[in-house]
Amino acid sequence: MLEARDLSVSYDHRVAVANVTLSLKQGEITAIIGPNGAGKSTLLRTLNGQLPRTSGNVLLDGEPIERLNRRNISRHIAVVAQEAELRFPVTVLEFVLGGRFAWATHSGWGWETERDLHVAESVLRETELSDLSSRLMNELSGGERQRALMARALATEAAILLLDEPTANLDLSHQATLLSVVRNRCNQQRSAALVVTHDINLAAAFADNILLMKQGRVIHSGSPAEVLRPEILQDVFEIRVLVDAHPVTGGPRVTPVHTDQSV
Amino acid sequence: MAARSDSATRFVFTVPDHFLRGFVWLAVACLALFSACTTRGTANNGAAREIRDDAGRRVSIPANVDRVVSLAPNLTEIVFAVGAGDRLVGRTSYCDFPPEAKAVAEVGDTLHPSLERIIALKPQVVLVSTASQLEVFTQQLQGQNIAVYVTDPHDLEGVFRSIGQIGEIVGEKDKAGLLVQKLRERTAAVEAAVKQKQPVRVFYQVSGEPLYTIGRESFITDLMRRAGGASVTADVPGAWPKYSNESALAARPEAIILPTGGSMGSANANVADALRQSPAALQGRVYKINDDHLARPGPRSVDGLEEMARALHPDAFPK
Amino acid sequence: MITTASEAVASPARRKRVTLRKTIVTCAVMAAALLLAIVLMSLLGSEQLPVRASLCALASFGTSTCGLTQDQFDILFQIRLPRILLAAAVGGSLATAGAGYQALLRNPLAEPYLLGISNGAAVGTMIALVFFGAMEWTRPILAFTGALAATLAVYRLARGRAGATPERLILAGVIVTTFLSSVIVFVTVLMDATRIRSFTFWLLGDLSGTSKALLPVAITIAIAGALALTLNARSLNLLMLGERDAFDLGVEVGRVRIVVFVVASLLVGSSVAASGSVGYVGLVIPHLARLSLGSDNRISIPAAALGGALFVIVADTVARTVIAPRELPVGAITALIGAPLFIYLLRRV
Repeated sequence: MLEARDLSVSYDHRVAVANVTLSLKQGEITAIIGPNGAGKSTLLRTLNGQLPRTSGNVLLDGEPIERLNRRNISRHIAVVAQEAELRFPVTVLEFVLGGRFAWATHSGWGWETERDLHVAESVLRETELSDLSSRLMNELSGGERQRALMARALATEAAILLLDEPTANLDLSHQATLLSVVRNRCNQQRSAALVVTHDINLAAAFADNILLMKQGRVIHSGSPAEVLRPEILQDVFEIRVLVDAHPVTGGPRVTPVHTDQSV
Repeated sequence: MAARSDSATRFVFTVPDHFLRGFVWLAVACLALFSACTTRGTANNGAAREIRDDAGRRVSIPANVDRVVSLAPNLTEIVFAVGAGDRLVGRTSYCDFPPEAKAVAEVGDTLHPSLERIIALKPQVVLVSTASQLEVFTQQLQGQNIAVYVTDPHDLEGVFRSIGQIGEIVGEKDKAGLLVQKLRERTAAVEAAVKQKQPVRVFYQVSGEPLYTIGRESFITDLMRRAGGASVTADVPGAWPKYSNESALAARPEAIILPTGGSMGSANANVADALRQSPAALQGRVYKINDDHLARPGPRSVDGLEEMARALHPDAFPK
Repeated sequence: MITTASEAVASPARRKRVTLRKTIVTCAVMAAALLLAIVLMSLLGSEQLPVRASLCALASFGTSTCGLTQDQFDILFQIRLPRILLAAAVGGSLATAGAGYQALLRNPLAEPYLLGISNGAAVGTMIALVFFGAMEWTRPILAFTGALAATLAVYRLARGRAGATPERLILAGVIVTTFLSSVIVFVTVLMDATRIRSFTFWLLGDLSGTSKALLPVAITIAIAGALALTLNARSLNLLMLGERDAFDLGVEVGRVRIVVFVVASLLVGSSVAASGSVGYVGLVIPHLARLSLGSDNRISIPAAALGGALFVIVADTVARTVIAPRELPVGAITALIGAPLFIYLLRRV
């Protein structure tokens, strides 16, 4: 599906991403974790063609993405951002329908088809926003807005989802809900997802693969159990961690240890 | 009688000391001389005159004015016309007539004169042409003891009055009077010549695009009336109104005056679009007259009057 | 971020999305209103024309005089109607350009005047008038060049590390517009006194100088420009909500940006060349359109175009009748109406 081969990205004489190779597989969620400045978001933005690569390749179904036009890329790759710029009033439905742009027959104009409406309605159901479809985006809570962003990305029917810290502004329950939607997508529709996140435990809970990045390089990759080991994490994050088994899921649970904490 | 004069002379000549006598004579002589001097001085330098200007202001003018600044081309022409060109120490860059005026120092243009330059020239009076220039600098000039005199004629009589007043200010009252006399004679001649004629309906085009004309307050409206013309915009309020194209068309003027040339150059040499089909344009009664003879309320206004009259009523002026 | 909490309370939520049918109906209604305005305003002016005969002559498209005198006929068809059509073209152009800038720059306050584009066009026009006075066709061309140059200047000035954010663009626009204003004042001062009065009037917006040759150009540009931006309306809808998001969703951001800048410069250039700077149209009308019809550009851009035409036609009629037979500059009327209207709109939002 989407792969990066020996990808490097640098700008302003700074190397942001260095020789990264990864491959997203159908039905799998890949999480990218790492300290600030590791190049996670840069990598994500290069994968969808927004940032130019310096060397290496990004291939979408075997084709280098430079050769594909914007619209085509958007039909295959959807990005879920952290938040939306809402300077003008739009309803949730209008917002979500924006995701259908890539499927419009005329490049800048045209009207939504029945199919477009059908898809929008189904993603609204999927993200539990059907009741709010006529409300203005500004009226929604933070969690609802994030679901709307998710819905818009899902409306593109892209098989590849790139999520850039999607849970940054969400509370616990909404974090879980969002990622379950992604999980369902991957399971049922064989999508692939790449999630950049700070939340290691969330990654542990939902991801099939984890990429650990530091200073532009992939230090370690593999299943959560393989990557989330104390010595590896301590080396990358430069903080003591404790890793044990999650009491419910059995997967790894990472707890940072603060030495100057009061007991 | 003889005894009294005797006693006076005896007093002077009975003073014992020669030196003292000489001193007394000297003192008497000085006293006599001094009293004579001061009497004349009081008559010329002491009391300033108060003149009322066209803006209704009472202006205090010193008795002897030998340094004048003019802030409008028409006022420069008037100063020279009354023979006081030697007393003009400052003019605007637009003041180009008579040719001698060009030798006078410039103080800027009509709308934005340089206050510093004016003050540096140390004039006693500054002549300005409309009240609009007034607010800008009157206070500051008056603070420097410089009198500001405003002219704002609305008709030919007002122009003659300006000439007379300026003549008085610069001390050429007689020359001014003579000039006004001659101008009146010429005016009367023109008026007599066109008296029996039907006034021609005239549109005076100040500019074509946008369309500007003369209104009620403009002295040119009066000039035109005396020249045997009736301005179709004579009742429009204001002096230089921006006029509606359709009203100009509907006015159907019999003649059009295009003030052009002179300091205006080749601008305004064409009739406005709205008037292209007017009776005036169709019959070729479009008359170009030197703008300087019309737009400058001064001695040449009567030139403009004559030129307009000759254009409108050629048969009234044989030769 | 402009919050619409108060608006939401006023219209509690159930707003249907924009469809093709709604767009067509709205535009048809507005076009009909525009036509009505053209007809009605052509009955008004500093000279009284007989109403029935005028309507009859208009209905016959000028082929029959219907009893009007030659002068009345000329006033109606040579002076009034061309002026009204020019007012429509100018109003439509400026409103369309304003809508385009607001969507592209993601700022409801973006406007050709604020961004320095109007002044750029004015400087271009002044150069054409001073150096190529007789050749009328140089005016819209140099105005367009000036507008485009100002756009480029604004864009270059606004480029920072994070790209040209809307805030930086507005700031750069203010710098460019004030600089160009001083240039205009400078050139005006150098001009002789006789020209100054007419220039000052023109700078405030003057529709009285309707050239027969330039009117078709102005109308064509107004219609073509509105069409061009409407055909990019869906892209603009996405751009309005963030450049990066629009890119992600498939919009060719760079191409759309160029189209909007060039088309808007053309629209502003043609308006300013014909009639000087008519302010507030590009600000108030698109705002009104979005407020009443929603932010969807597929309906709000054509609605702004038609609304702008209507607005300037009415404002110009006021300008040429209220102190008849004298005239006021139309820019003064649009400001008199536009400023309080805008304050009201700001408070609603």
